Amino acid sequence: MKRQIPLLIVIILGFMFAIHTFVPHKVSIEFYDWYQTWIKAISPFMVLLGIMSLFMVHSTKIKRKVPNWQYSLIILISLVGTGVVGFIWGTQEGTPFMWLFKNVQMPMGATMFSLLAFYIASAAYKAFRARSLEATVLLVAAIVVMLGQVPIGIKISKWIPEASDWILNVPNLAAKRGIALGVGLGMTATSLKILLGIERTYLGGGD
Amino acid sequence: MKLTFARTGFFLFLLAFSFLLLPQTTHAAVDESEYIVENLDVNDIPNDDGSGLMLSWKPLPKERRIIEYRVYRGITPDSLFFIGKIDVNVKTGVLAEEMYFYDTDFNYFADTQAEGKLRREKGQKKGSPLYRRYPRDVNILGPQLEHYDILGVISEKDYYYHSRKMEVVADEDTTVYAGLKLREFEQLAKKLITDHNYYYTVIAVSESRRYYPHVQPAIGIPRENSPEKISAFYAVYVQDKNRLQFEWSLPTFTDDIYYHRIYMMKKKDLEKFAKYLKYLDEVEKNDLAMKEDSTVVALERTVENPAEFIYQRYSSYPWTPSKTVSINILNSKIIGEKKYPNIFTGKEHEVDVDIDVENIEDYYFVFSLYDVAKYETFSDVSSLDIINSDMLPQISGFNVIDGEDDKGDYNRVMWGKPVVYLTNSTFVDESKTRLLVNYEYNMNKTYKVRNIYFKVFDETGKQIANKNEYYQDKKIIIELPKDSNKNQTLFFEMTFKCNKYLGDDYILTQILSYDEQTRSLYPGNLYLGNENLLENQYYIYKHNYFDEEWRLSKRITGVQREVLDNVRYENNHFKIVKKYDADKNLFLLSSSFSVCSKEDKPDETISSNLFPSEIEKKITTNRDEIAKYISSKDTLQTKEELKEADEAIEYHEKQIEMITTTPLLIKADSYKNPRNRLKFLDKARHYAKNTFSYKIIKSDGKGHFTESEIYIRPGVKSIDKKDKYAVFFSGFGKDHFYPRSNLFKNTMLPALIASLLFGMLVFVMIGKAKKGHDLFVRPIAGIQEIDNAIGRATEMGKPILFVPGLSGISDVATLAGLAILGKVAKKAAEYDTKILVPCRDYLVLPVAQEIVKEAHYEAGRPDTYDKSSVFFITTTQFAFVAGVNGIMIREKTATNFYMGMFWAEALLMTETGSTTGAIQIAGTDAITQIPFFITTCDYTLIGEELYAASAYLAREPLQLGTLKAVDYIKLLILISIIAGTALSTSHLTFLINAFPEK
Repeated sequence: MKRQIPLLIVIILGFMFAIHTFVPHKVSIEFYDWYQTWIKAISPFMVLLGIMSLFMVHSTKIKRKVPNWQYSLIILISLVGTGVVGFIWGTQEGTPFMWLFKNVQMPMGATMFSLLAFYIASAAYKAFRARSLEATVLLVAAIVVMLGQVPIGIKISKWIPEASDWILNVPNLAAKRGIALGVGLGMTATSLKILLGIERTYLGGGD
Repeated sequence: MKLTFARTGFFLFLLAFSFLLLPQTTHAAVDESEYIVENLDVNDIPNDDGSGLMLSWKPLPKERRIIEYRVYRGITPDSLFFIGKIDVNVKTGVLAEEMYFYDTDFNYFADTQAEGKLRREKGQKKGSPLYRRYPRDVNILGPQLEHYDILGVISEKDYYYHSRKMEVVADEDTTVYAGLKLREFEQLAKKLITDHNYYYTVIAVSESRRYYPHVQPAIGIPRENSPEKISAFYAVYVQDKNRLQFEWSLPTFTDDIYYHRIYMMKKKDLEKFAKYLKYLDEVEKNDLAMKEDSTVVALERTVENPAEFIYQRYSSYPWTPSKTVSINILNSKIIGEKKYPNIFTGKEHEVDVDIDVENIEDYYFVFSLYDVAKYETFSDVSSLDIINSDMLPQISGFNVIDGEDDKGDYNRVMWGKPVVYLTNSTFVDESKTRLLVNYEYNMNKTYKVRNIYFKVFDETGKQIANKNEYYQDKKIIIELPKDSNKNQTLFFEMTFKCNKYLGDDYILTQILSYDEQTRSLYPGNLYLGNENLLENQYYIYKHNYFDEEWRLSKRITGVQREVLDNVRYENNHFKIVKKYDADKNLFLLSSSFSVCSKEDKPDETISSNLFPSEIEKKITTNRDEIAKYISSKDTLQTKEELKEADEAIEYHEKQIEMITTTPLLIKADSYKNPRNRLKFLDKARHYAKNTFSYKIIKSDGKGHFTESEIYIRPGVKSIDKKDKYAVFFSGFGKDHFYPRSNLFKNTMLPALIASLLFGMLVFVMIGKAKKGHDLFVRPIAGIQEIDNAIGRATEMGKPILFVPGLSGISDVATLAGLAILGKVAKKAAEYDTKILVPCRDYLVLPVAQEIVKEAHYEAGRPDTYDKSSVFFITTTQFAFVAGVNGIMIREKTATNFYMGMFWAEALLMTETGSTTGAIQIAGTDAITQIPFFITTCDYTLIGEELYAASAYLAREPLQLGTLKAVDYIKLLILISIIAGTALSTSHLTFLINAFPEK
């Protein structure tokens, strides 16, 4: 029963939403809107699940004094601290919560994001090493596309921007569309497997 | 003290949180008087409906670091409630000398989200008059009702089915109201009452959210003003038709405009008219003076309007009214089609005016806006533009159909033949021989464009290009002769091939001429014969069973050929709230509601009541009134008194007649169940409001317009008798159209066919797999390596990391990732290898936990399942990356799996994994991230391979059958692409046109 009832819910609702895609009738739209309100109602409980998981994992680490347990302590204090300042002073502009957001979270997030530039350079180095014919083609294509995006490209040759556009708009776009087509079909197949009850892994265990 | 790792971390943490005190410390030692705003002034808004006030004050200097100004209003200076705020950029401050806040129209007063109790504003000293917003307490809101016009916005469901019957006794009369709790209102909106006193104050709030003291409250009194003067009014006389045509611009403030009027005068009377305007101005000023000083007396009416009234219409508020009218002259007379009422004076105007057609140029015409306070504002006078009807734009027939693929909220209005026009041009080569010309084309459902032909001529008239656009990609390349003048004017002739024959003379012409400003060849006017299509506009007018007047639905350019008219569903009732019941916590409003307008007198409405007993009571009251007037007639002396009595009797008889003889109301009363009765009336009301009749007008915007007939659907003789509501509305389905909800989205037909075909293929392939057919599946290296990767982790005694993407559970990629997690976790459990699953989504977490748990059970190792191994990190993208990277480095994971949806964080994770020496297998359908995965991971599942992985690993007939079906569908798509390309190249576009563009 533990698997059958959720499976039944998934199959019935899944087919209803599939029908909704094809039926623009008012009843269909209203049903969809009504369903959307359920998502809003469920969301707070989902947040609770995440917070409980965080507390469980990190309190165990602290209790057992596992290596680097101090990080867990920082996480829990930060979690509680941010929540408390938010509840006490609110989350508007000018509150300590917003101060924390702007001066702690945002710079840290930006730091992580900025690392991407260096990682891209490192990944590019790996990708463009001309060790095989394919890699050489990739290297040449990349050089042409990169030059096509900057003013020096047209200074070297008027054909570089055109070649760059051609690479982006023809072989690159064709490959992207091919992948997108496969992804679309794969998604449909997976959805169909879920709707028909063939794919049940997401239900977890129990009978 | 030894500085250990733990102590260092703790001190750092303390340091970080000590910064929190920074904003608070700035509160100290500030002279608050410097933070009080100055020059607060409250003024009446001109030309409005008498409900608007404008606040102005001098903003504080940038150095004060003000983040917002908060505005408070009250009916006394000792209780002021928060009504709104203006946010300020702290860094720039306010650059203007003055700041403004407008308290006008109906806006927020209270709703169910308001605070429960009355609370004083933050940071104010004891005794401060400032409060936060009005709370949802009827004892506080109720007394305010008399100081504002309060509009209750109520959902139909709440109004019809949750209203309580409330009887209020006043002066021996009992009035019944509908009582609703605040939570049953969508919102209560307020409007200021004319000539009432209101007090306002403003406070500044600093960057650290410190609330400073308020400025001394200022008083404001909204005053009734005359309407604004419209910017344009055009008068045209069509000589051969003996018809006057008028067109005017619409005003900005429309709330209190009641009538639109047109007057006529002799040119010699212009001076008198100027005097009359001056007199009106004086009257308005005197009215204001009388309100401010009781000793001022009313002005005597000494000046009469020399202009003669010839036309009037209701303003249609809140709808956009029509902006044109035609008046026929018959036998040198303008005769009104009906008597025009003035509901404020009670008079009726009968238009029967002489006009000297021979000397028609001797007349001026003037337009006026007449408001509910009886103020009238006139436009500038306009003399007639005398023309013949051949100078008016030609209008073709049109038709109206139900909007397709909608929920019943659109009607499609279509007219004319297709139009193509040039929009821009650019040379695409340095030698300027290849000219890229962009074009647009408009058509409608009646005409389906197959080919557009462009013939291009140079200045000498020589044809230089002939283009056949069999696939309309909205651009053509014109090859110009090498030696030609690059700035010469090019002449385009454009024709169509459609599903219907358009006629040989249907040729559109346009030029491309050199424009100095853009330094390019720029398109000129578009001609069809002699008509410049860009010169005219179309006005779509519509009319329903609820309103007497036509309203303007859309105003569009002359090159459009159809309009989707939105018929908006109104699911709310709007009712004025004037009373409340504090004991029962209810707000009281009228229980009667209008259903539709009368068929014979469209300016009157048919209304009903929520409570059937009230209808009976109304009949009895009217009968009593009739009896009273009849009995009083014997005692009346004068003719006027007798006439008044007769009019009153007639009025009450009509009221009884409406209730007892209107078929719609009779039908409603036949329902025994009150709920069914209201359901019927509600439906009927919707029909009346959402059923529209259409006509279109083609105009140059200056009174030269041609009006179409009202559209009548051909072949419709009678109404649809199956429709139980339609029978109550004459012309329903014939000249009035109700948009219907559609059952199928036509644009989705190819998708439906493909889905059904795919479903069938899945069943066939599953059947084959079950029968034991060997279904070949292409080997995928990434999937084959999963076992080895898990084995490696086992050998090294290190954990496995599995990231199921950063998307939510509703993403199919996440579901595919979780399906792989099941297989990986089972294998890991068999080898007794720890698996770590960090989650970003709250809902993915329990699902992943269940999957891993089930995998351990299936592997026969429930004891090794650790719930903490599947855990939540954060929803923030880069914080999640930091968490995952930390795990990789600290735990030294031997194998990393990334299966699902990823964004910019993908490379950050995989590069870190790469540096820790882990074997990495990734799978995603995010096209932009695939290159990063390929570069940094050992194996990558590209796009669809992610979805195939679980089937590949399971090797079950059900899963393999699905996989095989996907392959066959891909084959079909490939065939379609090749066929489509080949056919399109041969100018056969039927296949590509069979698929919707989006």
